[in-house]
Amino acid sequence: MEGSDEGVERVVDSKDLQQQSKAFDKLTDRVEDRQLDSSRVQEAMASIAASSEADWQAMRKREKELAAVKINAADVDIIANELELDKKVAERTLREHKGDAVAAIRHLLR
Amino acid sequence: MGASLPSKEANLFKLIVKSYETKQYKKGLKAADAILKKFPDHGETLSMKGLTLNCMDRKSEAYELVRQGLKNDLKSHVCWHVYGLLYRSDREYREAIKCYRNALRIDPDNIEILRDLSLLQAQMRDLSGFVETRQQLLTLKPNHRMNWIGFSVAHHLNSNASKAVEILEAYEGTLEEDHPPENERCEHGEMLLYKISLLEECGFLERALEELHKKESKIVDKLVYKEQEVSLLVKLGHLEEGEALYQALLSMNPDNYRYYEGLQKCVGLYLEDGQYSPDQIDRLDSLYKTLVQQYKWSSAVKRIPLDFLQGDKFREAADNYIRPLLTKGVPSLFSDLSSLYNHPGKADILEQLILELERSIRMSGQYPGRMDKEPPSTLMWTLFLLAQHYDRRGQYEVALSKIDEAIEHTPTVIDLYSVKSRILKHAGDLVAAAAFADEARCMDLADRYVNSECVKRMLQADQVALAEKTAVLFTKDGDQHNNLHDMQCMWYELASGESYFRQGDLGRALKKFLAVEKHYADITEDQFDFHSYCLRKMTLCTYVEMLKFQDQLHSHAYFHKAAAGAIRGYIKLHDSPPKSTAEEDDNMSKLLPSQKKKMRQKQRKAEARAKKEAEEKNEESSASGVSKSGKRHIKPVDPDPNGEKLLQVEDPLSEATKYLKLLQKNSPDSLETHLLSFELYTRKQKILLALQAVKQLLRLDAEHPDSHRCLIKFFHKVGSMNASVTDSEKLIWSVLEAERPTISQLHEKSLFEANNSFLEKHKDSLMHRAAFAEILHILDSNRKSEAVKFIEESTNNIVPRNGALGPIREWNLKDCIAVHKLLGTVLADQDAALRWKVRCAEYFPYSTYFEGCHSSASPNSAFNQLRKNSENESPNHSVGGQNVGSITSNGKLEAFKDLTI
Repeated sequence: MEGSDEGVERVVDSKDLQQQSKAFDKLTDRVEDRQLDSSRVQEAMASIAASSEADWQAMRKREKELAAVKINAADVDIIANELELDKKVAERTLREHKGDAVAAIRHLLR
Repeated sequence: MGASLPSKEANLFKLIVKSYETKQYKKGLKAADAILKKFPDHGETLSMKGLTLNCMDRKSEAYELVRQGLKNDLKSHVCWHVYGLLYRSDREYREAIKCYRNALRIDPDNIEILRDLSLLQAQMRDLSGFVETRQQLLTLKPNHRMNWIGFSVAHHLNSNASKAVEILEAYEGTLEEDHPPENERCEHGEMLLYKISLLEECGFLERALEELHKKESKIVDKLVYKEQEVSLLVKLGHLEEGEALYQALLSMNPDNYRYYEGLQKCVGLYLEDGQYSPDQIDRLDSLYKTLVQQYKWSSAVKRIPLDFLQGDKFREAADNYIRPLLTKGVPSLFSDLSSLYNHPGKADILEQLILELERSIRMSGQYPGRMDKEPPSTLMWTLFLLAQHYDRRGQYEVALSKIDEAIEHTPTVIDLYSVKSRILKHAGDLVAAAAFADEARCMDLADRYVNSECVKRMLQADQVALAEKTAVLFTKDGDQHNNLHDMQCMWYELASGESYFRQGDLGRALKKFLAVEKHYADITEDQFDFHSYCLRKMTLCTYVEMLKFQDQLHSHAYFHKAAAGAIRGYIKLHDSPPKSTAEEDDNMSKLLPSQKKKMRQKQRKAEARAKKEAEEKNEESSASGVSKSGKRHIKPVDPDPNGEKLLQVEDPLSEATKYLKLLQKNSPDSLETHLLSFELYTRKQKILLALQAVKQLLRLDAEHPDSHRCLIKFFHKVGSMNASVTDSEKLIWSVLEAERPTISQLHEKSLFEANNSFLEKHKDSLMHRAAFAEILHILDSNRKSEAVKFIEESTNNIVPRNGALGPIREWNLKDCIAVHKLLGTVLADQDAALRWKVRCAEYFPYSTYFEGCHSSASPNSAFNQLRKNSENESPNHSVGGQNVGSITSNGKLEAFKDLTI
């Protein structure tokens, strides 16, 4: 069900505005999707290979490395408060700088 | 599904859904009510009824019903989906996404929910999620064209253009050889152009060119085809082919500057900085002489040489360019030439040239060296051009004399009054500028352009009520100036916001600035419907361009002005909060009992009056809602028309921070962004963030007076902080110790020495001297008199001729006003401020701020002359009755009643 931000048809008292309103309403009209030939589609689907596996593995490894870094919880709070950042951002930056609060802050002030 | 319905009611439920999809909401409501009569607790029906009501502007009912429906049937994906749609319509996208995910947990392969989720992900730029969702949709329904296109675009946006190409090629593999059918030619052509632009973006230039040629017959948009082809040819180094193609494009549109630029590149004669060698200039000149023969009617081919020619050749070409336009009477000639004033030496050449034309026409009615007689209007247009020339060079006295002569020559030309208004504005007489803009407006009451220009001048002169009355002449009847807000008329809101701010009305100022911010929020939302529409229409290049534009939307200058204005307003509100009710009560308690009683009565009366006015206003609003068709069109009444509630904000600085973050993200290369950041964070005691602002200022322009001010102020403040006690303070101090050595301005220097060193480099600049003096005072308040004396000893030197554009004297009005304010506030020396004012009144005789002898604040001013003339024309007017407010909206056409031509 495609949603619509349009309310009931609004009252307009000029022809131009009526046309504008009608044209904008068309943007969100219900339209059937165009269909494609089924037999050819199956061949095409086979050619779309999943190449995201390697990327995902690399990301997981990175996250594992960061999770192993020891950090001071008080530093996270200080950085989040003084630099008005989300705690997750503060924590991640601290991990990326191996727990060195001064280095992390200097990076964030760039 | 939860409780399932009998077949009759199940069909009615399908009707509700269909009615919703086709926007037949009343029909949907009827069907829902029919079901609820028998099954009053059916969750999905309650939800759908709520969603339908939401589309009929009955939002509170909608939420109530949807929540009830969900509560009754927590395991229904329909109920969760509907809840998400409801949140989305209120732009609560994160909540909506949560609801969709809950719905998908129940029904993982629901196409409709996945599609709605993908729209939200596109809107929120969750691009990896978007790719994932589009992939799922393609897997589920691979025979839908839109799913292939959506998946491809998702990869493109997620920075994987080559993957996007692969997907489009796979999609093409599904098509018949004779594709597209006639009714899909445009769509298919657009898709092909998109694919080729992807190949170009990936750097596969040869492949892109090959594909372009191969698909030529299927691409409908021939102009984009050619432009794409020439872009690829140039990048591949096929310059001869590129040159031929640019010639073809020029024959289609010889006024497109980019084609000329491209042609110059192909023949090896284009430099980004425009610094051509004499040999290159000669070759360019030959090129354009050839081109001018081919495109006789093009303005561009005659105008572009003025950019690269120098000296006598420039003078000759400019002369040839200007003469026919003066004869024709082209009012925009100066605008056309104005960029040349930034080139060294050209302003002087233009001045000599135009003066010579003026002299010759005066004496003989002919151009120099010509026998043909010029029409009488040529002299007027020459004077018009000269007036703008001297205005640009800061010689306002001469500019005004030229424009006055032109007006005397032909008093009915509207442009003359507009230019006079602009000259007076630059000279500092905003009141007179508004008066002459109004004069121009009255000469053509049907032209909204002169109306708007007049409104803007009135706002600059802080005549807000008059400006509003004037603007209303072109708004819809009954809507008053609310119509300007509805039509997103930002220039008006910015100018009136700035006027209210200058007058100290913070509530109204904030109201206007926040209105502009809301327009930008609305524009951001406007893209939502196009995420599905553009995939259907296949206008993919334009869609991607729109998305990139939206990503930088808040970089626009208007947003910057509004956000900066709002931040300044909130800072001022923080520094000088309005008197609270408690304080007023305290004052009351000191009064005598009888006075207390009177005060209370007065208060009650005032409240009653305000209430009555509000009620009347509501009645007016609702009355205007009844349109011709008789239906009531209820507009929501503005609960805070004068911004009074905005003044009651509990924490102005945190409100300001919201807008500051947008500026920091979108206007990081603006000094003003970081100046505001410094002011805000010092007040919030966020030392590290203030340091960040200082670092940004130094990065952008370390020699700017404001950068210097902030740098020294910051370290002066830090130096006076107490020793670190808390962990937080210790950490901050460690960062400061690590950062200070990286700031070269402070190497091995005390703050005093840094200030002196700064002055040494800029001792001839007024604004740098003022910054030095201010800092001297801040570092040692005992040296105030020394600082004041230093400013007063500054010299307003004559600028050498033949430089780039510059005024005859170095100082400009804006800087002198800033210094006056500095003397009167930070340095708090009223005598010095007065002396400065008297001195500047000499330099700027038209400035109302300095009450110069020619300003509206003086009896001899242009504005007062205008009033005198008006009185002469209408002897029955009482002398005392004349004032700005008396200018009528129907103009003063009686001034021209006796005019004969």
